[in-house]
Amino acid sequence: MEERVLIEFKDVCKKYAQGDREFFALKDANLSINEGEMVVILGPSGAGKSTLLNLLGGMDSASSGHIFFDGEDLTTYSDNQLTKYRAENVGVVFQFYNLIPTLTAYENVALMKDIKSGTTDPKEALAAVGLADHMHQFPSQLSGGEQQRTSIARAIAKNPRLLLCDEPTGALDTDTGKEVLKLLQEMSRSKKRTVVMVTHNSFFADIADTVIRVKNGGIRSIEHNDHPKDAEEVNW
Amino acid sequence: MLLRKMWRDLSKNKAQFISIFLMSFLGMFVFVGIDAESSGAGESADSYYREYHLCDLWVMGAGFSDDDLRLAAKVKGVKNVEKRLSLTGTAEKTDNAYMYVNFMEENDINSLMLYEGEAFDGQKDGFWLEEWFARTNKINIGDTFSIKIDSMKIDGRVRGIVDAPDYVYYVSESDLMYPNYKKCGVAFMAPGMYPDAENIVYNQLLVDIADEFSSEEQLSMIKRKLENRFDRDDIAVTDRDQNLSFATFDAEIRQHKAMGAMFAVVFVAIALLGIVTTMARVTAGQRIQIGTMKALGFSKAAITLHYVSYGFVISAAGCILGAFLGSKVMPAWILSMFEGSYLVPDLSGQVTGLDMAVTVLAIFVSTTVSFLSCRKELKDPPAVTLKPPAPKKVRHSGFEKSRLWLRLDFSTQWNIRDVMRNKLRSLMGILGVMGCAMLLVCGFGCFDSIKGLMDKMYGELMTAKNKIVLSSDADADYAYDLAVRYRGQMIEEKKVEFVSDTAKKSGSATIVDKGNFIHIQDRKLNPVKLTDKGIAMTSKMAGLLGIGVGDRIRWHFVGDDKWQNTRVEQIYRDPSIQGITMRKEVFEEMEYTFKPTAVLTNKSVDPSLSEEDEVSTVLNIEGMKAAFSETMEILNAMVYVMVLAAVFLGVVVLYNLGVLSFVEKTREVATLKVLGFSSPKIRQILQKQNLWLTIIGIIAGLYAGWGMLYVICTTVSDTLDMFPILYFPTYVWSIGGTFLVSVSVNLLFSGKVKNIDMVDALKGVE
Ligand SMILES: Nc1ncnc2c1ncn2[C@@H]1O[C@H](COP(=O)(O)OP(=O)(O)O)[C@@H](O)[C@H]1O
Ligand SMILES: [Mg+2]
Repeated sequence: MEERVLIEFKDVCKKYAQGDREFFALKDANLSINEGEMVVILGPSGAGKSTLLNLLGGMDSASSGHIFFDGEDLTTYSDNQLTKYRAENVGVVFQFYNLIPTLTAYENVALMKDIKSGTTDPKEALAAVGLADHMHQFPSQLSGGEQQRTSIARAIAKNPRLLLCDEPTGALDTDTGKEVLKLLQEMSRSKKRTVVMVTHNSFFADIADTVIRVKNGGIRSIEHNDHPKDAEEVNW
Repeated sequence: MLLRKMWRDLSKNKAQFISIFLMSFLGMFVFVGIDAESSGAGESADSYYREYHLCDLWVMGAGFSDDDLRLAAKVKGVKNVEKRLSLTGTAEKTDNAYMYVNFMEENDINSLMLYEGEAFDGQKDGFWLEEWFARTNKINIGDTFSIKIDSMKIDGRVRGIVDAPDYVYYVSESDLMYPNYKKCGVAFMAPGMYPDAENIVYNQLLVDIADEFSSEEQLSMIKRKLENRFDRDDIAVTDRDQNLSFATFDAEIRQHKAMGAMFAVVFVAIALLGIVTTMARVTAGQRIQIGTMKALGFSKAAITLHYVSYGFVISAAGCILGAFLGSKVMPAWILSMFEGSYLVPDLSGQVTGLDMAVTVLAIFVSTTVSFLSCRKELKDPPAVTLKPPAPKKVRHSGFEKSRLWLRLDFSTQWNIRDVMRNKLRSLMGILGVMGCAMLLVCGFGCFDSIKGLMDKMYGELMTAKNKIVLSSDADADYAYDLAVRYRGQMIEEKKVEFVSDTAKKSGSATIVDKGNFIHIQDRKLNPVKLTDKGIAMTSKMAGLLGIGVGDRIRWHFVGDDKWQNTRVEQIYRDPSIQGITMRKEVFEEMEYTFKPTAVLTNKSVDPSLSEEDEVSTVLNIEGMKAAFSETMEILNAMVYVMVLAAVFLGVVVLYNLGVLSFVEKTREVATLKVLGFSSPKIRQILQKQNLWLTIIGIIAGLYAGWGMLYVICTTVSDTLDMFPILYFPTYVWSIGGTFLVSVSVNLLFSGKVKNIDMVDALKGVE
């Protein structure tokens, strides 16, 4: 597999003002992610994982440092450019799914046609996540796992180069969580998409090509897994 | 897909969006409706005046010759002049109806509009009668008809049924404002019909001014030139604004416009508030969704457009539909009430550029308001929007730290906090209740004020039970005999023209003999004694002329060339007749002869009296009151609109408010339930707040309603000096009605407290 760097962080900081003190949610982060990799960002609650992911997805802006996506510096982007970046390249899966409650599963996925051309057919995307039979139900009529799968279908329908997932199994039970993990792993393995997943669950480290450990706003370690496990083999 | 989301969101928040829709609908319905009505009626009248050449100036005097006619025609800007003899008489065949009688040869000015029969011809004999009079009295072409003018009698056949542009509105001198065509009419005929045709003396010149000289300044210049050219004391040149028919119709239209604007302001303001609160809630409630859409890559513009289109779609639908239906329904309805009051042919509504502009503006403002209210959620980057909102900074006010606060019970504390933290929502509630109470107070107040006015006119200022109106046949001796026989009081009523430095007005003069049936009141409505030193003037007339006690005023009786320059000794207030009052002695001191026109008495009058030639009619106080209340028909209709609008407004605003606060409080209510509060207890807590807001709204509404009533009363017309009155039942009805609306809407919601499912309400994750 030829290695091609898709993402690079250079001394990235994110700080918040807390009263008269400054608080670093992320401090001097340096990392790089190759195209097609399955990356797991691991760390306890409050460590700065979501902050990192948000920066990656252009949903937030860094206080200092540089973030490169395919050689382009995101930190120099304007709001409009960031929006375009998200629309073209990034798919997001949230912990609480964040589907539009007034749209059916099908419509939630079809929504992507409004922002990007060349999206996958919603039916196909939903079939790919095993929801062909529930397409016309509203989110409130779906189980948590089904909602999360809809949200994955929504993310992959765009054919994004980067799939970001923030605690995608956080609200799911073990079995459903596993199915979701399997789906994500498949995205990276067969479709050659870069998947970055945030979790506080250290068991997930086994399925990743790369594991980035975060604590107190700093990157502790970056490890490479030569033989990642299949999602089915993980237990927690 | 976003479109689909919009429709679903709209239907999910149905109640609120419908209420916004209804408010924009009603605001536009009333505004465009009344504006289209008044503009259309104005336009109908204008084109009628233009087509039938309503004269621009009237020159009135004791007599005009053909030389005078030529003299007037020579004034630059004058296009055409005609002479006319205008008198009053009675029609014997129709129960001695009061008749305006006009003799003229030409008829290119104030041309008659023919309904039936043959066109007017100054050479032929016969009568041309005003249509409503003819119709009401079932007079047809070819019927014989006769008119008595003083002691002269004119007989002939009816040749034509017509309308005249200078008799769009006419009433007999004893009718106050409302036309009674059974008892009053207009007749036109050729000079040949005048008994002493050889020696006919014309008393009017009708002046038509060329279009290019019709500006205000040029008109008043021509008016001055005419006055100078004749250089006689007995003439008066008046313009359209001084013409009863023109001015009355014009004032009516202007009053409608003012009313329409007032309604529209109230409704549009409340619709806007509704949009602000609803949109703010919808966007706040969809905060996470907005963040999600952003994270998915929707541009800010696309999301803004999406939410702004909510406000746009709703207000556009409401405004356009309201404007459309309003312009169809309102004019038809109001103009149907004009029927028989104003004789303008082809009255119809007309949508103006202003209507369209206001509709567009209303939609624009609503859209802008919804833009502003969702901008807040759109400003932040998605990472921030995706998190639940930072709780509002809870600042404890000084009051919350005070000792008093600690002694309040929980529900009071909770409600005070809730009101303070939802100021806009609370404000909307107060405004809605206030609008409701205001319209009710003002509406019922109109009835009260009219009743008060009548009670004052017939009962305080004029206390006689009967008024024997004398004809011009009656001389002073006849009147004196009547006064003795009925122990009555003699009065003389005459038309007067006043000239001050700033204005020229016509009004009436009442000259009173000894007796106890005519009373006057000062500005503060306290009874005062009529001065015996000179003249007393009504406060409204004094105001119009810009003078006060001690100032001098130039005046003369219409048709009399003797001018007076008199000091005003006293100012009094009269609701319906504007002018001057003086004692007979004062009148005679000015070297006039007292010739009574009416005798007032408390004794019952012999019915055969009205048969006598010297008596024109006998009026009793009940009849006068009834005739007066008929004049208020259109005002009454406005009052019904107001009361309906009030109730509607109250229901819509409070319902909207109820939905808003109910949805916002669902979690809190569920929490209270979990904590063990019973449903009735919670209902009680919720209702406390509504009670406060309702009471504040009602108090504010009482003041605002009084203010609105004051404006209506003082602007109603030049001749009516109405004073706002509120009787006790009005307070009861207004306060009670508002409470009823408020309480019943709230009951609707507090019933739902029981249905809140604790588990469901608290399950939602953030
Ligand atoms: N808007 C904010 N203001 C202040 N501090 C914040 C804000 N957002 C996040 N933080 C802080 O940054 C730290 C990292 O947050 P986050 O990346 O969400 O953690 P996690 O690893 O659990 O996803 C936390 O300590 C959090 O309190
Ligand atoms: Mg997190």
